[in-house]
Amino acid sequence: MSISRRVFVKSGGLALFSLGLDPLFLARAAFASYPVPSSPALSRPILVCLFQRGAVDGLNMIVPHGDPMYYRERPRIAVPDTDVVDLDGYFGLHPRLAALKPLWDAKRLAAIHAIGSPDATRSHFDAQDYMESGTPGVKATLDGWLNRYCQHDREHQDTPFRAVAFGPELPRILAGTAPSLAIADLQAFGLRAPQPAARDRLTRAFEELYAGSATGLLSASSREAFEAVQTLKRVDPTQYQPANGADYPRGKLGKAMLEIAQLIKADVGLQVAFADVTGWDTHVNQGASEGQLAARLAELGQTLTAFAQDLGEKLEDVVVLTMSEFGRTVRENGNSGTDHGHATAMLVLGGPVNGGRVLGKWPGLDPASRFEGRDVAVTTDFRDLFAEVLARHLGARDLSAIFPGFTPDPARFPGAISA
Amino acid sequence: MHALDRLAYGPRPGEIERVAAAGVLRWIDAQLAPDKIDDDTVARREREFDVLTYDRGDLARLYADVQRARQERKRMGDTAADKPDDSPIALKGRRFAAQVQQLAVVRAALSERQLYEVMVDFWTNHFNVYFAKGADRFLTPDYIEHTIRPHAMGRFEDLLIATARSPAMLFYLDNWESVAPGASPPFPLSARRRGGQGVRTGINENYARELLELHTLGVDGGYDQHDVIEVARIFTGWSIRRPQQGGDFEFHDWAHDTGDKQVLGIEFERGHGMDEGIHLLKRLANHPATMHHVSRKLCQRFVNDDPPDGCVDDAVAAWQRSHGDIRDVLRAIFHGPDFWAVANIRAKVKTPLEFVVSAARAVGAEPDTTPRLAQVVARLGEPLYLHVAPDGYPEREDAWVNSGALLDRMNAAVALAAGRLPGAVATLDSVAPVTPDPEQLIAGIDDRILGGTMSQNTKRVIAEQLSDITDPVQARALAVGLAIGGPEFQRQ
Repeated sequence: MSISRRVFVKSGGLALFSLGLDPLFLARAAFASYPVPSSPALSRPILVCLFQRGAVDGLNMIVPHGDPMYYRERPRIAVPDTDVVDLDGYFGLHPRLAALKPLWDAKRLAAIHAIGSPDATRSHFDAQDYMESGTPGVKATLDGWLNRYCQHDREHQDTPFRAVAFGPELPRILAGTAPSLAIADLQAFGLRAPQPAARDRLTRAFEELYAGSATGLLSASSREAFEAVQTLKRVDPTQYQPANGADYPRGKLGKAMLEIAQLIKADVGLQVAFADVTGWDTHVNQGASEGQLAARLAELGQTLTAFAQDLGEKLEDVVVLTMSEFGRTVRENGNSGTDHGHATAMLVLGGPVNGGRVLGKWPGLDPASRFEGRDVAVTTDFRDLFAEVLARHLGARDLSAIFPGFTPDPARFPGAISA
Repeated sequence: MHALDRLAYGPRPGEIERVAAAGVLRWIDAQLAPDKIDDDTVARREREFDVLTYDRGDLARLYADVQRARQERKRMGDTAADKPDDSPIALKGRRFAAQVQQLAVVRAALSERQLYEVMVDFWTNHFNVYFAKGADRFLTPDYIEHTIRPHAMGRFEDLLIATARSPAMLFYLDNWESVAPGASPPFPLSARRRGGQGVRTGINENYARELLELHTLGVDGGYDQHDVIEVARIFTGWSIRRPQQGGDFEFHDWAHDTGDKQVLGIEFERGHGMDEGIHLLKRLANHPATMHHVSRKLCQRFVNDDPPDGCVDDAVAAWQRSHGDIRDVLRAIFHGPDFWAVANIRAKVKTPLEFVVSAARAVGAEPDTTPRLAQVVARLGEPLYLHVAPDGYPEREDAWVNSGALLDRMNAAVALAAGRLPGAVATLDSVAPVTPDPEQLIAGIDDRILGGTMSQNTKRVIAEQLSDITDPVQARALAVGLAIGGPEFQRQ
């Protein structure tokens, strides 16, 4: 004890300079001790959700290049047949998603087309809200479906990192009474002080302040924060190197997925992760094989590829699910873009995925079979896909509690997860 | 304290006493007439922000120069696209963008017209534009200065029309490119004038939809997809003259849909060109659904995240009486029983902007012209003018309270109190004199920063932390940091 005390007092000079605190502050911190962090959960299935905010054009992501109607309706923005990475003779990947083809061939990646909400809204905010609350048409729902999953599935232990959103704000999908975390930057997470001892003391002081005085949401969020700080201390995220030569693209998405991979490998009990990826609201100059949408898809494809590489064998426990609030008009608009539509396409990636197939019932692009004469019709309710992933991958049992007002029926599951 | 928390960005040292001495209702009345309040400090500080001396056209030229320089670099084989562009012209562009954000923080922190600044922030979010979208990079500063600020305490109808005509909004929600199907300009437009993108045809529904859903009626305001299309037809031709040069509003007769239209059952007879849009905006501004939607948002801002019906009804009644005079609507809210109800006091959590500005005010810090405080606001989740979706930054606490952001608030508080936030120097002498007596110190902080709302637990924890610190200057910095980072100060 006396040795460590002296060390702390000696090195306290540095902290004194920048924190403006007495060395004794540090000395006392040397004796501060935390309760032992709870032991990490055993290996278990993990779900990663990516929300493509702004409504991705499903038709230029998973391209129905076998349909002449697609080319007729999109003279300026259709992806030329020669550029499409063919999947099954009718559908193909956008060329800037080509990096995903090996995962498709390895049956680790599937797409669900003509999926969306039973609610007809074309408002981003309403549609995102419904997709995150899991209750289309009902705005009064307070929590998100991922959070309700965590509330109802009590077989898994709540660790601070059970449900994590990567970004500065906790998204609607994870709002609710089950503990969940928002992390803007894993490395900077926690109290900042030049010295570990000063940091520990500051952490402890704020922990006591909030434990005793905070009410409501402030109380719950602060408790989650301090538990997470303890766990991260052990993980040391500053030392992370992606494995197998995985090269994440720069930008928010790449960073978020790298940090998700890191937490998965650190075995801190992560079960549900969430990240946003923006830039899909392509009203103007959407582009075809190249251009605005192509650039966003390239980032998505490279990130997912890097993530799969980085995880290696661990991918067997993981499912990545993409979602977007709705699709876009079949016909291009006057600005070489597309307006708000109805159904879109979603991707599922991971070991448990029944991959190499475009799933869902394809309604076709014929004007008579379109929704309101203009948009791809919804043939799969998004809740059927989400419910399937929760049931068959995470082992959720009480699906009707997670999607109130909806009776998930395995007969309607699109078949995204291997039985 | 309550009035200072809601109508202002929190009290500065000594302000609680000053407002109480003058009479809180009298202070509220004064705040409702911002033109009559001297604001020399802000006027002086504004002169330090040279971005204000640049108009739309100047900023557009600066932006074009940055783009040209970048192209030039690429041509010269400098292909490191990821490397930040550190040429003088690019640095100037970045400095100006940062100035625009920091100016919002400086005004909020220092203005005597506190309620006015609160309302500017409210309308900036209600009529959100995205600073980083194309031409909005140089149109947004003008939008804030000449569209939002002059109308923030005027009539809602005038504000609505001003936003509808503003190049920033026309660009942000794509209306400038919305033209009647089949219409084409009577003269060939040069490729350069069209931004090298050729002539466009067809309507774009984006502005029409957000106008109804967000700016006026609200999502449950009783319109449908057909109304959205009809509104978009009415606004065909509302465009921008030479947007890439920072141009002004321009109505294009050739692009306007010449058919009859019908919105919410109201006929809009063909042939009235731009007047159709003005007529529609006036109808929307005074529609009962709009009164209710906007009044409710105001009550959410000033009373409670879930505002009681009573204050919303009072606000709507005042709206009707005054034909949408924002000051009268606000007066009705502030004089209503809900505003003062115990259940609504300290019932709201501060947004990141409110937290940072109120913290700076609490410690008597005068933010300088560097973008540092605006960067703190951004780190806490609210980069100013950079909310990409048209709904603006949310008002509800669940959008802001999460574990990561909470830790960052604690970090910012400690840094500010310890003088580690360059750009905002705390003058803690104005909070509490240096004293060896921790009890006296804590009482002073409770009084001046928290208006006497500090909990027993907070007092105890701070006292404990001070017990082994011998230097009273350091003790004071730690105590202030803990108080501002603690739970009481997150509320208003």
